[in-house]
This record gives sequence, C-alpha cells and structure tokens, in this order.
Amino acid sequence: MNRYLDTYQQREREEMRYRLHPATVLLYLTAVVFLTLFFKHPFFLLALFFAVGLVILSFELYKEWMAYLKIGFSFMLVIMLINVFFVRAGSTVLYLGPVLPVFGRIRITFEAVCFGTVMGLKLLIIISAFCLFMYVVHPDGILRLLGGRSDKTALALGLSLRLFPLMRADFLRITEVQRCRGVNLYERSSWKGVSKTIPVIRVLLLSSLERAFQLAESLQARGYGLGKRSSFSSTEWRLRDRFIEIGLLLGVFLSLFLAWRGQADFSYYPRLQSLESSALVGAVFIGLVFVFPAFLNWGWKKWPTLRSRI
Amino acid sequence: MAYIKVEDLTYYYPEQELPALDKINLSLNKGEFVLILGSSGCGKSSLVRALAGLLPDFYGGKMGGHLYLDGQEIRTIKRASLVNKVGMVFQDPESQLIMSNVERELVLGMENLGLPVSLMQRRVMEVGDALALNSYLQENVNDLSGGLKQKVVLASVLAMQPDILILDEPTSQLDPVTAEEILTIVRKLNEDQGMTVILIEQRLERCFHLADRVVVMEKGQIVQNTTNLEEIVNWAANEDSPFLPPIPRLFANSNFGQIPLTVKAGRQLLESRSNQKRSYGESQSEDWRVTPRENPREADGEVTEHRELLLQVEKVSYTYENGSEALKDNYLDLFTGDFLVLMGENAAGKTTLLKNIRGLLHPSEGSVRFGGEEIKKKPLEEWAGEIGYLSQNPGDYLFLPTVSAEIEFTLENLHLTNSERVVSLMEKLGLTKYARSYARDLSSGERQRVALATVLAGDPKLIILDEPTRGLDYALKAQLGEILQNLQQEGRAILLVTHDVEFAAEYATDIALMSQGKIIARGSKEEILSDLTFFSPQVAKLFRNFTDEPVVTLAKGKSVLERFR
Repeated sequence: MNRYLDTYQQREREEMRYRLHPATVLLYLTAVVFLTLFFKHPFFLLALFFAVGLVILSFELYKEWMAYLKIGFSFMLVIMLINVFFVRAGSTVLYLGPVLPVFGRIRITFEAVCFGTVMGLKLLIIISAFCLFMYVVHPDGILRLLGGRSDKTALALGLSLRLFPLMRADFLRITEVQRCRGVNLYERSSWKGVSKTIPVIRVLLLSSLERAFQLAESLQARGYGLGKRSSFSSTEWRLRDRFIEIGLLLGVFLSLFLAWRGQADFSYYPRLQSLESSALVGAVFIGLVFVFPAFLNWGWKKWPTLRSRI
Repeated sequence: MAYIKVEDLTYYYPEQELPALDKINLSLNKGEFVLILGSSGCGKSSLVRALAGLLPDFYGGKMGGHLYLDGQEIRTIKRASLVNKVGMVFQDPESQLIMSNVERELVLGMENLGLPVSLMQRRVMEVGDALALNSYLQENVNDLSGGLKQKVVLASVLAMQPDILILDEPTSQLDPVTAEEILTIVRKLNEDQGMTVILIEQRLERCFHLADRVVVMEKGQIVQNTTNLEEIVNWAANEDSPFLPPIPRLFANSNFGQIPLTVKAGRQLLESRSNQKRSYGESQSEDWRVTPRENPREADGEVTEHRELLLQVEKVSYTYENGSEALKDNYLDLFTGDFLVLMGENAAGKTTLLKNIRGLLHPSEGSVRFGGEEIKKKPLEEWAGEIGYLSQNPGDYLFLPTVSAEIEFTLENLHLTNSERVVSLMEKLGLTKYARSYARDLSSGERQRVALATVLAGDPKLIILDEPTRGLDYALKAQLGEILQNLQQEGRAILLVTHDVEFAAEYATDIALMSQGKIIARGSKEEILSDLTFFSPQVAKLFRNFTDEPVVTLAKGKSVLERFR
C-alpha cells in the first residue's frame, strides 16, 4: 500500500541511514540549509552541493535524487531566466537585444548569468537536502523526537509527517473513485485535464483534514505530548551520531570563521570578483566535513567491526 | 459507590445549537461489561469520548454537569493519570495507527507515559502473546490485514493497562471470524482481569449476550439503562426498536412467549418444544420437519425468466507489483437481476476482484467481460454509465456544496443532462429534503445514500458495492437493503462485498465465498449460508438440524418457528 514506508521497513535493520538518530539528521540538514543561505561564494556552494550529493549517493538514493533534481533543474532554469532578463546590472554584456514594451532594452550580462546560476545552485542544494529528509528521516523518529513537547506545533508537525504518506494512498484511492464516476483526468486538452483534478484535490483536502483529526485524537487518547517520555528502541545517540555532530560543529565554526575573514563572501556586480585559491581550500574543508556521513557509511558497509563499534 | 458516575452531563459541539449529550445520568460499576446502543448520531460516541476525557479537551465546545471516575471529577484528574486509566479503541484502525512498525505502535502509549524500558518489554511480550502478535512485531503496519491492524490498535491500548477499556465499533470492518476473536479477547479481559469494558457496537448478534448492562441512547439522551437483558429485549420488542439481536427479534416478532437471548438458549427452547410435540405423538415429518426444495430460486420461477448475461469473469488471476498473488483462477457470471454477495476472510482478495471487474486493475491472466466486451479494451471512465462502483468510503465521492450538485456532477461527466433524473434519484433514495444540504455534513447513512445516488446517476446495469454496511446501524442497513432489492427488481445486477452475514442473508439472493484469492463456492444464500459455522446468520444456526429446510432469513425463520408453537 505504501511504498514510502515500505522502503524503510525492508532495509531498516541493515543500513546506516536508518540507524542515525533523527536529531542528528535534522541537525545535518539544518546546517546545510543554513550555510546554503549564508554562503554567496560559488566554491562553498559547490562544495556543499557535492557533499550532499555524495551523501545521497552513498545512501543509494540515486533514482530518488534524480527525480528531485529534475524538478530542481526546471526551477533553476526559471530563476536563471528571470535573473538574466530582469537584472540589468553587470558590466560584461553578452547580448544587447531590441527594446521591448514594459521590459525596455534586453541586456544580458555575464554577471547576471553567473548570479542566476548560483541562485539556482542554492535551490538545488535545498531540494537535495529535502530529498535526504524524505528518505532518511523516518516519520516515526520525528514523532518520537517531538513527543516530549506538549505544544500544538509539535503535534501538528508530527501529524503532517504521518499524514504525508497516507495522503499519497488517499490520492490514488480518490482518483480511482472519481474516474469510476466518469471524471476523465486524462483529457487531451491539458487545461481540461487539470480542471478535472480539482474534485480529486478537494476530496483529498477534505479527507486529509478528517483523517488528521482522527489521528490527532488517537494520539491525544494515548497521551502524546504529556511531557518527558521514555524511549523503547535503540535510537539512542551512538558514536556515529557524535562523529557527525562534531563534524557539523566544526564545519559551522569554520564557515563562521571564513565569513569573518571575508572569504565566504563573493560579489557578482558590477564585475565578478576574482576567485582566490584560499577560498578553494576553505571550500574543500567544508566539503570534507559535510561529506563525512558518506565516508562513515562507506566504512559501515565495508567493515562490520566498525559498524558494531559506532 | 459507582466506579463511573455521570450527573446531568450536557455537551454541545462547537457552533452547534443542539446538544450532543442532553442531561445524561449514568452509574457504572467496576468490572462491568457495558454495551451502548443507539442509532447513528444519537450521542453514544460523544458519551464515551467524554469518559475518555476527549470532550471538551480535544473537541472544544461547551460541557455542563459532572463526570466522576472512581469518585474524582474527570476534569480534575491529570491527563497522564486519565490516559493510564482509560484506554480507547476507535472504529477505523487506519486512522489510529500512528507508527509504521507494529512494535513501535505497541509502545507508543507507554513511551508517552514515560514507562521504563524493562516494563515496556514485559508488556509488549505479554500483549503480543495474548493477541498472537509476537510474530508480527517487526512488520510494517501497512502490510497487515484489517483484523491484524485492529488487534495492533487494541494491543497498543492494552499495553497501557487501562482500568477501563472503551471500544467504539471495533469490529465493524472485520470478518466474522476475526470479529469473534477480538470480542473473545475483550470478554476474557473483562472476566479474568476485571477490566471495565464499554462497548459501542452495531452488530448486536456478536456481543449482546456478553453485556452485564445495556444502555440505549436516543437524541443525546439515555432511554434505557438496565442490567436485566430480558428487560431490554421486552422493551425493544414492545417499542419495535431496531436494537434487538436476530434471535430475540425472531422470537419476539413471532409472539413465542419466551424470548431467548442467544442461539444456544434458542436451540434449547426449540429442543424442549420438539420433545413436547414428540411426547404428544406428533409426527416430525408431517408437522414441523420439512423436505428441502432442490433449488429455492427454481421453485420461485426465477430461472425461467429471460435474463441477460452481464458479466463474465474467466480464469482471472492477479499479482501485485510486489509479487503477492491476490487472485487465482476465478470464474464468475452475473446476469441481470442477480444480487450476489461476495464474502470471505480479510485479505481474501475480494476488493482486488471488484477492482478487476471495474477495470481499476487489469487481470494478470484471464479476462473480464461486460456485455461481451472486454473491460480493459475501454478506459474505465467510459464504463461509468454501465458499471457503478461504490467504494468503502462514501466521503471519497463528495465535495460539492449540495446533494443535487453531486448527482448533477456525475451526469455532466457522462455528458447527460437530465434534471428529472436528479429529482427521481433523490426521491428514490430519500434524499429530497437534503437536496440543498452539504453532503459531508449529513449522517453516515445519508452520506452513503448520496454517494450511491452519484453512482446510480449514470443508470448502470451492474452496481458494485464494497463494504457498504460499515458503520451503519440496523435501521440504516434495512434502508440500504431495501434500496438494493428495489434496484435488483428493476433488473440491475448487484455485486456486493460485506462481512455482515446477517445483511447478506437477509437481502442477497446468491453468495460467493472467497478464500486465499479464489472463489471457492457460489450458490443461493440458502445453499451457502445454512451450512457454515462463522459465515452463517444466527437464524440458520438456530434451526440447524431442527429442519432440513434451509432457513437464513428472519421471515423464513418466523414461518418455521410457527411450527414449534
């Protein structure tokens, strides 16, 4: 019924990604997103992108990542186009086009292309982090992590995580029902096809609200959010979590240090700043810190002794 | 002193003018098995939610009066303590399973209470053993059958060791064998552990005899509250109330004098009457023992009518992507005017077969033909005018602001515009007064009739219904049964999946039994249902070996019972 959760079930016991403490994964992803927004320098952003990509690949999520990247690249293209056509800054003119009503003269600069590409890269990193979140952070783990808090935000976040895979199953079921009712979702005219999905979406939203309510009631009846809770299974902080967290701490401090030294910054307009080798060294360090879970995973697979120790 | 005491309890849901609970007064003793009855929307679920502390804490709204648990007012009890004392199992297991793995689900409540790991391990072992779940502990809950899911929910509540166990229609989605198993566990908990059990159930034949106390509710009020089951039976018989299990109903309607509560008591009564008759020298074969008819349908002259073959299922097998073989070599024919009920254990493949018939899935082997044309040759939307499909959840159909708009929507999809059809369908299904109402605001039975109306709008020759009696009370089930019989008389074929044996026995003409992906038997309801143990109505169990004539409906039972008077 639910392939999203099945993927966890099948490999949960063997793979490191399922054995990491959810808080560790959340910390890792928070650090990646924070630094992505923080850095402007392309070296550092490229280092983060490759690091996150290698971690995803080491967790054998190639197909899943590609699906996310496809969406990411199309958004990246939109960002680049908007930037290229609307930003007039930059001194290296690549193309000087005709005067268009409203837009004025088309002026494409090398700097605007670079800036748009880097903005797109930032988006790709965030989308990749989201991919990791979806396939590495188990909804059960988040629910348990938040269970000690009694506020409604924790309950809402926990519920939405539980609801997401259920909504997928609901969507398929409601689509079937509406098609049986004669709703043709695959009309030749794409606009008609889109408009026909409206009933499905409306029913899905209404059903999800009802289901969320029932799940919340069940959680309430079983004492969720009472306060400090105990933990039954072994999602305790292990050495592997500590290694990753120490690495993260190191990475964030190094980034702040480099930012203080002005090496993490980069100016695109009016002319691109020159790329210095010291920034490259810093970026390599940052990359190594964030790719560390991939190294650890490699060791986990290769040496059973290491696996048992960490 | 009463263990649970309710004094003048009144409750209004947010933004509602009518109270859901209207001056309820009730005292329940420790260790009682309490059965709460009432039609949909009468306030039974609200009452048990108030006992579990969910009203008004979770729902909001206004509450008046007092509710005491073990002498202490519930509102003053700390939530942790209340959760520890009162455990609640809801109707739909899908909507209360939170975690993805069975073991994690079992410990969720205990973790919330902050219990130590060693204690949780002991309790998991114990409830897992008691409910035969230990071999499933590492399974994904989504892979379990409906019965197992409900057991997991029950186990997760029992692991918290509540003093009071509240169950809101826990067996409504279960096959008769699994339902029996769940209720046996609940009865053992009540008898052996002294656990107070409060049960809401629509299928009275399953649980009426287990109750120490029966409470009947109507429009937010308690209209009957007694520990004397005979008293409630007499009251229900006099009031013509639907809240009577089949056996007492049969004897009460026949003015038999004595009203037994269970099949066992009924059989003992029949035994003593037949012995009396024998002692008076009456011959069994001449009087009350009747020679069976070869084929009840043939005798009624049904097979002599010209009936058109609508559906042909030939050698249909289906294997899901994950490799599980859900259907194996199935054959099924349906003619106009057939009313076939498909029964079988949970996960027997019934819904998969329906989906293959409707074109939602295509057979891995074999073929499904409707009117001679193979189903998979046409997109499934194009079959909407010929094959109607009512799925398990009527809510999946409803999204428009009015009931009439819902019906018109189907007509528009089929490029039909017929306002008379909208009006006549609403009349036929008793929906005229709700024409301008929002369908999702209606009661469960009304919602289901609206969904059925949207299906019937296309004027289909074959109507497929998956578990339509789920959550319906006796009166609503009777309404649905009559609607379906009328459709059958119009010449439509009906194919229905249900676990409700009593409903199948009363309204269907034919029964097919499925087991492990295969239809293993098909015949008239008399042929199939009179011989089985679990998939058999109570009236058939009552008369087994007393008469050679198959008896599966209450009407037939009444005529046979006459001979024992």
